[in-house]
Amino acid sequence: MDPIWSNIFRKTPEQDSLAYFLGHLPFFAELTAKEIAFLENLVHSRTYRAHEIVFEEGDPGSGMYMIRSGSVVIFSRDSQGKEDELARLGPGDFFGETTLTAPVQRSASARTLEATELVGLFRADLLEAIESNPKTASNILFGLTRIVSERLQAASIEIRRLQGMLGGHATPETIET
Amino acid sequence: MSAAAPQRRGWTRGQVLLAFLVLTASIASGLAIYSSATSLTNLSRTAFSVLFMPLFLAFVLSFLLAPPVRFVEKSGLSRTPSIFLVYLVLVAVGTFLILSFSPNWQSLWHNLGMDLPRYADKFTGYIKDLLILMHERFPQVKSYDLSTKINLWTQQILSATLARTPGSALKIGGLVILVPLFTFFFLRDGRKILRAFVSLTPNRHFEMVHDLSFLISRQLAQFIRGRILEALIIGLVVGFGLSLADIRYAPVLGIFAGVTNLIPYIGPIIGMIPGILIAFVDFGLGGQFWWTVILYILIAQILIDNFILIPILISRVSNLHPLLVFFAIIIGGKLYGVIGMIIGVPIVSIIKMTLLEVRMYRRTFRLPESALDMERGP
Repeated sequence: MDPIWSNIFRKTPEQDSLAYFLGHLPFFAELTAKEIAFLENLVHSRTYRAHEIVFEEGDPGSGMYMIRSGSVVIFSRDSQGKEDELARLGPGDFFGETTLTAPVQRSASARTLEATELVGLFRADLLEAIESNPKTASNILFGLTRIVSERLQAASIEIRRLQGMLGGHATPETIET
Repeated sequence: MSAAAPQRRGWTRGQVLLAFLVLTASIASGLAIYSSATSLTNLSRTAFSVLFMPLFLAFVLSFLLAPPVRFVEKSGLSRTPSIFLVYLVLVAVGTFLILSFSPNWQSLWHNLGMDLPRYADKFTGYIKDLLILMHERFPQVKSYDLSTKINLWTQQILSATLARTPGSALKIGGLVILVPLFTFFFLRDGRKILRAFVSLTPNRHFEMVHDLSFLISRQLAQFIRGRILEALIIGLVVGFGLSLADIRYAPVLGIFAGVTNLIPYIGPIIGMIPGILIAFVDFGLGGQFWWTVILYILIAQILIDNFILIPILISRVSNLHPLLVFFAIIIGGKLYGVIGMIIGVPIVSIIKMTLLEVRMYRRTFRLPESALDMERGP
């Protein structure tokens, strides 16, 4: 391609933009460009060093994080303080979404594995957005709810599968808690 | 410093020399920083005192105007035109009110300047009579020349007020320009400014600070709107009630009562003094005087403020101990004069509410207060 044209139609900056990242996340895939622009002003982009704690189990949780670059490990500690790795997440993944709508404590800890850029979406911002721009806010919430329900459905299928493996001894309640 | 301390006892000569040099250098640089800091603090103090009042008023006003701006914004207009529209409506309404209710504000103001000494004279005259009467009844009480003292005192206050008028007029002129300007930017970029400040917090505490800033600003908005609305309604009630009884300067007295109503406990009392004084001097102890007293105390304060406005508008959380109110008024008055007296109490309320919100937040999530609790926790 002609270098001049490639310079004019440069792809990288667009792909580097926060809007591009947000628009390609599964929960915001159905938002319009205008709504993505609104969302861009709503979220907080934060950079973390390697092995930096994002949040600890028991912290007051007020929102979710999306990984723009880098990776994060989710873990919990037992009574002796030994860490038990629950998940490793990479770019495009998200975590902490359970505290977005309800003010509860974090149920696990999160730490970065390398230099990481996280995009945070918090309850306070959503509450403000609901007042100032209800339509966009409900679209954002709708997308989030869709993903959370998908996860819930996958989890209940998994529970049923495990139940079947155990021979039907355990009830879903005991597994969930 | 402790890192520099050697492990074994006794220092080598080199270490002693190094310690000596470090100490000397730190004392010298400390002195240098201190001497430059005093001029720096002076500088910042001047800047602060100049900017504080317009910034504070703009802050309050932006909280007050945020709901109408948001209302306009919801209709589809973007932020900046919405603010301009609200400004326009406000200016129009204000001009209309001033023109329609009192076309002779200027002469009213002028008359007030003339009448104030007259009222003071009459009042001191009454007190003089009262003293003479008392002296006749109780001759053993030493004759105390209170009346001349009061006369002197009122004259001093009057002359001080008159002398400071040009200066304060300049100040008010500055406020008239600065406050709408600052308010505009607070309304337009307030969220961005707050976000910029919050984003300065380190990652580990960012979430909590962000959440708290939201909760606190919501509380603040409620508090400020409640207080201003309360003052407005009291001012209207007093102004209207006084004009019913044909008391002179009813609009001015209404404004005065509304503004002083911002100070708890003492404000309402100060607010009613000039009205009752004018009624007393003009009409004596007649029906109009008693109507004024009833209006101020029973209707405005007890009925409307205590039974209707405070339960609806003001949350119990922002209640301050009377002693704290006095401290706030005295310190505010010392720092910024009369306006300092008015805004001292709200500022202390704001600080108290912030602390309470932080405490409630801690309690909601049962945050460990110290590392000890953290170890004991699950």
